[in-house]
Amino acid sequence: MAIVERPTALPELPPGAAVTPRPLGVFTRPQSTTGWRSWLTTIDHKRIGIMYGAAAMFFFLLGGVEALFIRAQLAAPGQALYSADLYNQLFTMHGVTMIFLVVIPLGAAFMNYLMPLQIGARDVAFPRLNAFSLWLFLGGGLFLNSSWFLGGGANGGWFAYAPNTGVVFSPGHGMDFYALGLQMTGIASLAGAINLVVTVLNMRAPGMTLMKMPVFTWMGLVTQLLLVFALPVISVALFLLTFDRLFDANFFNVSAGADPLLWEHLFWIFGHPEVYILILPAFGIVSEIIPVFSRKPIFGYPFMVFSGIAIGFMGWGVWAHHMFASGMGPISVAAFSLSTMFIAVPTGVKILNWMATMWGGKLSFTTPMLFAIGLVTMFTIGGLSGVTHAVAPADTQQTDTYYIVAHFHYVLFGGALMGFLGGMYFWWPKVFGFKLSDKIGKWHFWLILIGFNLTFGPMHILGLQGMPRRMHTYIADYGFELWNMVATIGSFLIAAAMLVFVANILVSWRAHRLNPVSPGPDPWDARSLEWMVQSPPPAYNFDPVPTVSHLDEFWHRKYQENADGKVVRVATGAEAAQPGDSTDVHLPSPSYWPLVLAIALPIIAYGLIFNLGIAAAGGLLVIAAGFGFGYEPSDDPESHHGPHGNGHGDGHAQLGDGHEAGAGSEGEPEAGTAGAAGGETEPVGVASTASATDEPATDAEGSTDG
Amino acid sequence: MRTRLRSRRALALLVPLLLLLSACASDAPQDTLEPEGPIARKIDNLVNPVFIIAAVVFVLVEFGVLYLVLRFRQRKDDDPDELPGQTHGNTKLEIGWTVLPALLLGFVAFATLATLFDITNTKDDGLTVQVTGQQWWWEFTYDTDGDGKFTDEDVLTANDLVIPAGENVGLEITSRDVIHSFWIPKLNGKKDAVPGRRHPLTINADEPGTYVGQCTEFCGLSHAYMRQRVVALAPDEFDAWLERQQDAADEPTDADAEAGAELFASQCSVCHLARGINDDQFEEAGQGTSELVSENAPDLTHFASRGAFAGATFDLWEDLDGDHIVEADEIGTANGGRLNRGDLEAWLRDPPGQKPMDPVTPDQVEAGERGRGMPNLNLSEEQIDQLVAFLQTLD
Amino acid sequence: MADTALHGPVAGEAEHDMASHATSTGISNEKLAMWVFLGSDCLLFGALISTYLLLRHRSISGPVELRDPAHIFDIPFTSVSSFVLLFSSLTMALAVGAIHRGDVRRCRTFLMTTALLGSVFIGGQVYEFTSFVKEGLGYTTNILGSAFYTLTGFHGVHVSVGIMFLMAMFVMSLRGKLGPDRAETVEIFGLYWHFVDIVWILIFTIVYLIP
Repeated sequence: MAIVERPTALPELPPGAAVTPRPLGVFTRPQSTTGWRSWLTTIDHKRIGIMYGAAAMFFFLLGGVEALFIRAQLAAPGQALYSADLYNQLFTMHGVTMIFLVVIPLGAAFMNYLMPLQIGARDVAFPRLNAFSLWLFLGGGLFLNSSWFLGGGANGGWFAYAPNTGVVFSPGHGMDFYALGLQMTGIASLAGAINLVVTVLNMRAPGMTLMKMPVFTWMGLVTQLLLVFALPVISVALFLLTFDRLFDANFFNVSAGADPLLWEHLFWIFGHPEVYILILPAFGIVSEIIPVFSRKPIFGYPFMVFSGIAIGFMGWGVWAHHMFASGMGPISVAAFSLSTMFIAVPTGVKILNWMATMWGGKLSFTTPMLFAIGLVTMFTIGGLSGVTHAVAPADTQQTDTYYIVAHFHYVLFGGALMGFLGGMYFWWPKVFGFKLSDKIGKWHFWLILIGFNLTFGPMHILGLQGMPRRMHTYIADYGFELWNMVATIGSFLIAAAMLVFVANILVSWRAHRLNPVSPGPDPWDARSLEWMVQSPPPAYNFDPVPTVSHLDEFWHRKYQENADGKVVRVATGAEAAQPGDSTDVHLPSPSYWPLVLAIALPIIAYGLIFNLGIAAAGGLLVIAAGFGFGYEPSDDPESHHGPHGNGHGDGHAQLGDGHEAGAGSEGEPEAGTAGAAGGETEPVGVASTASATDEPATDAEGSTDG
Repeated sequence: MRTRLRSRRALALLVPLLLLLSACASDAPQDTLEPEGPIARKIDNLVNPVFIIAAVVFVLVEFGVLYLVLRFRQRKDDDPDELPGQTHGNTKLEIGWTVLPALLLGFVAFATLATLFDITNTKDDGLTVQVTGQQWWWEFTYDTDGDGKFTDEDVLTANDLVIPAGENVGLEITSRDVIHSFWIPKLNGKKDAVPGRRHPLTINADEPGTYVGQCTEFCGLSHAYMRQRVVALAPDEFDAWLERQQDAADEPTDADAEAGAELFASQCSVCHLARGINDDQFEEAGQGTSELVSENAPDLTHFASRGAFAGATFDLWEDLDGDHIVEADEIGTANGGRLNRGDLEAWLRDPPGQKPMDPVTPDQVEAGERGRGMPNLNLSEEQIDQLVAFLQTLD
Repeated sequence: MADTALHGPVAGEAEHDMASHATSTGISNEKLAMWVFLGSDCLLFGALISTYLLLRHRSISGPVELRDPAHIFDIPFTSVSSFVLLFSSLTMALAVGAIHRGDVRRCRTFLMTTALLGSVFIGGQVYEFTSFVKEGLGYTTNILGSAFYTLTGFHGVHVSVGIMFLMAMFVMSLRGKLGPDRAETVEIFGLYWHFVDIVWILIFTIVYLIP
């Protein structure tokens, strides 16, 4: 929370004046909006979202390579491609990476980019905190993976059951990297969650009631609330483990009286809401894509919203279904078995509502639509196997076998990842200003669908035939050979499919550079507010913030009922969209402090493992950066904008108040010289006064900085 | 378009086919769908209808999607500005497809609870065995002194859990170090072995036979090499077996075996006990507590009466009938069994080379630290031969 | 379907008076954020308290006389320090009241008083812990020690961070940067301070008073 949010008296600097260093800070406030440094100091939710996505795809590559190593080893029984210890590190890091460093940040990428746009806001509530979340996530992820070079990766499984993960049974630093790394990514996610919850609750455009928000934003809100309440629990679990490992505490020391089930309960109380955190954003994405390519609204919007909320609540009551064989008494087992069965109901409702959306529609099978249908069909399989797990006696046969591995890959890969890939194809033109090739996209889709089913489909059989999981090899002649080989082949097919995806990005980008035709604001004839701005959107998102009167507000500006009651087009997407040419929209300034604060935490973490002096130094840096962050105004008073006139008091300036216009909108050539004093951040001037029509903001002075 | 849809159809058919195929697989000793005991059968009877319901839902949804994709696809001659009916929902329908699955699940829930409590309340028919997991083998304790407790005074065996067939045998499962899990798929679901806790599990084998399983809770380096076998004997054979297990080992008469016994007493007493052979040395060396974190190594008094060793990872006797399981009638020279010398010698030659472990090094022994698993004792080939000769006599 | 530009919320824009910044809920971003954060902090302490409750009677190592919390705690002493913390919530509320009335000086005084009282509480904790350690109950002695010190330690860190903020606000006030237009800042911090106090009431009741 910033102590000082508002700027002090704004100096009026003539153009060309030198920028003086700020009194409190060591660093001069960053000014630029272009160049690689601008990305490090950006607080723009769109850039942050892009960076989350890019980082996630990098970690996806890591996790994917780990998976290929696993599948190579398991292609045949009795192989020894590498040691059992390395295998344990590989499957642990694969799980941790995919869950915490891929799916969660991919969700964060979409939610960060889209939620403000979908609610008609200009950014999130706390833009610098948003940047901090990104950099701390990245720092935590790199810290965790640095373990590969510093003694070995974590090797206790992603679920890290005590006492196996204590110092006696997991000597070496791997599990310390695990505990501290996840602690950091957890803090990052928590900060991001607080940010997005406040944003959605507080910063909606006029007229956008909660029940007019797009389904994606709703699912995002539920996800963020789940994060707010689930993360502290795993945080405590990780603290306890860290204290045991580093400071000789007794939390999981059985000879001191500990009960190892404490870890299990704490972990799964987080762990189960976590899986809904993983899937709900993808559910949201699919709820956006299917209506667009069915050309009709989502079927049963209220049910879609409430089923998401129901999943959010009910998800808290099912955690011990991960513990049916753990030695809990039969009453507990019965209770959790029941609650687990019933959580299938709201999820099933969604599947049926998506199908009903398609019913009677005019379906076009673009790549996003294919991936969306992929989620619907593949998640169903994962959901059904999940229901079989809910039958607790059956689960005592299924748990810890490949049947479970099949289940969660169907819901996470066939569910979440398919949704995210579809979302990438869908929103790519909006974010980057060019479309990905639909033709190559279809190859990507079919290859990955086939590869995915080949890999994980047979695992159902392997599990039911008794092949346990988390083993570096399996017993020969027990019937496991064939399907393991098939699964290995499938996994390499998945890799090939992802190479096709990379090729698609490169080919499409090249094609765009050779022939830069913009896809325009609304290439898909879509429904929500993000399609109402140019592609890519201006830094300030909206010219005037729109007033909302409908769910699918943008759609209703293009299509209305005519005199005969028939819904007809009244405007094209380009006509109904905003031109994005405002030049006097005030945005908060970029900042170094989020990055500095985010770097300080991994320093503490390295220090805790290797040298307490370093940890202390990191702690001091946290305090210093915290103060720096807090005392820095969210707007740079040095940045060049003129007096706000008397409009500032109520938050919005009028036009013609003598505002300096500047190159504020699109991230123009940077004001890197001493002369151009921060021309990008501009005074408040959100469009016209009481005009009854949408008028884009025009500036009075007209001068720009370059 | 056509080929795409055809391949979708093919894919949609594939999955139920796979499930069907799995039920047909025969050579799967850990197959959960082929119960060989009443408790596992109850689970199977519960889950089969659930699988069928799941399959029906699967077909409805997947073929439903296929149908939607075919019927409502935008055709080439469609006017792009002509919108389809902009239905927003149908409350009755949605309530229906909320309530109906809930009802269906209600039935499944009822059946689940019935089976759950039925299985949990299975009465033991008399025999209770303590099952103790540690890295990376299973110990079984029979309350042979009848004091109601499981102590070192009782019969201790490893790897092979021998039980009478056709009876409910109660297991009390615990651990000495990390969490393991005891599982014999054909007899029952699994139950975790948690240090500091005791968990009950009942097993019952319809017929005499050998039923196998693996540790199913990740427990470190040799998790893949921690297995267990249940050997169900006819009740009178079981009684005879239990009698024999209570006897101390016979002193060997053969020269090699005698040398091996001496070697055993001098080299192995730090961890292992063979009653009648090295009782004194075992006691002097701390009763197995000094070099192992779990403070226990397998009791070897009747080592040769077992079908497997080293956490049931290696066969001790050869699998003569080719079914990949060493059964009771293949154990022991008296039965015409053939010792699997190769694996046993390889083990003695270099245990950590056979199975990844974290045993103590000599330096650690000096420092008073402990390890997990059996170290390499750098035995000569002659010593190995002598030990093998000796171990064979421990029937 | 006019888009009136005047009403859209502007991202992160600092305002002279936060409260006038139009938000969909009517609560300022910063205040709402504090509520959400406190919600998550509830779960943090919930997990820590649950852990303590589960573990407090399970000690089987360390000296026998140090296994039962009842034998170790000095309830009268801790009652006094609890009262001190409770009183600091009163002075915190008075600080908020003062700044709302525009009385910057009094607000400053109450902020400092709150900080001092908080420090007395921390001092009491430190004294209490050192006396336990002298008796032999250290962090690693047994499971009770680990659980107790961790729970109370987390609370102590929360109090200490709060004291830091109080000092920072005191300094800001001295420099004239914490005027009545910034009343909400004090109020928001007050929420945090009261939360920390309520958690202590819970801890004191569960850990010390209920056997």
